[in-house]
Amino acid sequence: MTFTKLHTPKGTRDYLTLEVEYYRYIEEGLREKFKLWGYQEIRSPTIEFVEALSTGVGSELVDSMFKFQDFDGKIVALRPEMTAPVARIITTRMPSTPEPIRLFYICNVFRYSQSYIERGREFWQAGVELIGCNTPEADGEILALLISSLKKIGLKEVRVDVGHASLLKDLLKATGLDEEKRAKLQNLLGYRDEARLEKFMDQNKIPPKLREIFLKLSSCRRLDEVSSVSLGSSKYGKTEDHLRKLLDVKDVLTDYGIENLVFFDFSLTRKIEYYTGIVFEASVPNFGLPLGGGGRYDDFIEKFGKVKIPAIGFALEIEKCLQALTAQGFQPQKREKIRILVASKFRSAAVKAVNAFHNAGVVALLDVTKSDEKKVLKYAELAGIDYVIFVDSTIEKPVIVYDPKSNVKKNVTIETFLQNLGGSSS
Amino acid sequence: MKRKIRIAIPSKGRLRQPSIKALQRAGINILEEERVYVSKTSDPRFEAIFVRAFDVPLYVQYGAVDLGITGHDLILEREADVHELLDLGFGKCQLVVAVPENSTIRSVKDISIVAKVATEFPNLSRRYFEGLGKQVEILRVRGTAELAPKLGLAEIIVDVSSTGETLRKNNLKVIATILDSTCRLACNKISFRTFESEIKEFLSRLKQGGLE
Repeated sequence: MTFTKLHTPKGTRDYLTLEVEYYRYIEEGLREKFKLWGYQEIRSPTIEFVEALSTGVGSELVDSMFKFQDFDGKIVALRPEMTAPVARIITTRMPSTPEPIRLFYICNVFRYSQSYIERGREFWQAGVELIGCNTPEADGEILALLISSLKKIGLKEVRVDVGHASLLKDLLKATGLDEEKRAKLQNLLGYRDEARLEKFMDQNKIPPKLREIFLKLSSCRRLDEVSSVSLGSSKYGKTEDHLRKLLDVKDVLTDYGIENLVFFDFSLTRKIEYYTGIVFEASVPNFGLPLGGGGRYDDFIEKFGKVKIPAIGFALEIEKCLQALTAQGFQPQKREKIRILVASKFRSAAVKAVNAFHNAGVVALLDVTKSDEKKVLKYAELAGIDYVIFVDSTIEKPVIVYDPKSNVKKNVTIETFLQNLGGSSS
Repeated sequence: MKRKIRIAIPSKGRLRQPSIKALQRAGINILEEERVYVSKTSDPRFEAIFVRAFDVPLYVQYGAVDLGITGHDLILEREADVHELLDLGFGKCQLVVAVPENSTIRSVKDISIVAKVATEFPNLSRRYFEGLGKQVEILRVRGTAELAPKLGLAEIIVDVSSTGETLRKNNLKVIATILDSTCRLACNKISFRTFESEIKEFLSRLKQGGLE
């Protein structure tokens, strides 16, 4: 069919040159930042065994994976995220590496969405993992790096909202409700409708102390506000430890000077199930979707090996970052400032001239069309070439420099031209 | 200065007028009600956007608007990941399963595997029937699902009903209720963070204004 010949499958798309420039701008900004903080880049296969990708991530993500059968009958899938591959790599390839280990990745991931919204099924993520440490300092570093990374690419008014996966889980469990009702309660917390939340808790006879804790935590917006929660005589799982951890993380954030950019959101959850500690999301005002997020997953890596290795990480969606930048009116700069087209009747001289430009770090294209001058200039104008240079029989002789936008012609040597270029572009 | 807070209001249908009135009771009057999509309000911090009720959850989820008034049923159908800050009380309705009065189907138990269901709510319908272990063919229609059984397009419809009047007129009877719904104030999750104090103040005025 013509359609399949000319189009790409649902949820996939082409990225044309300008968009790739923007993507590169973001990716390289993030890469530079991650490296500066001592994180090292890894890559892993696009296709992995389903078991490796689906261990501990929860059914929602498993359902969203593109799965197919390998020639030997094994079921493989396209990676839907990178934390599981990292956990596998840590266990199998890096067993004696001194911890903490700092890794990062920038890659495409694939998710099949059943939603009526035609979401991209292939999208690009940049993420970091800090493995082998569960101190508040490790949590703080990840949050600080997240904020620093987003600022680095030019985003303004970045904020991070932090919840705690086990705090929420332990308190929901303490209600003694069955799983269905717990899910309902969790939904109500997410709705932020206090009236209905209170009604539900009354109807289900949640003990007064626990009720008070739920309402109190729902109203906390700063991490240090959780200190006002009093647990009384009950333990509610490890609630006390979780609250303590949030306060400790807050202290670390203060040392980074970012405590006013990080907020508490008791109801915050992530779609992936492996989180055990803080979970978080980054956002900017005027862009309605989170840019990315992550959390602590201390019980996840041991599902691959036998050793318990605590870890924390985040992933950013490049596309969302780009959309948010656009919403803030930011135009990533084109990096290739000047493009030169070199033409000549004398091929040897033209090739030498192009080499000279390349050696000087200037973007130069050789005219390969063998067209006449008029056609060359027409092409240059349409293709956005900044200068066309007509080279004589040797590159020592002056060349004709033609600016298609202003129609100005000049006779100069390549050396002088490069000097002027260096002077004007710096 | 912060930008205006955008609130989406159903552009037509039974939810439009009560939504406008609820805003009025909260002290926000819409200044250009007729034939505009974006309207100023008497409160300079808010502007009103008229959007189809069905699309309100989508606008809110993506942050195209900060707040939106729409049915709980529509938020669920659209699977929108949004806050539902307040039950506004009006727009009471039920999502029901209905069949022609003379149908041999008396309850959902009688539904055979070949049954076709016409509905504007394919997601909620699919989940409901799958929950019952019933395999049905779901035909998505827009508006007037009541017509489908008459013309033999489907044996069953899933539709909203507030008084039951439309169903009766079309000789349809309700055999099950999927959910009860009312109008909600939905909020984009990031807007809630950005505008929490303004939104909370608006919420308390809505509550003071009295819910229907």
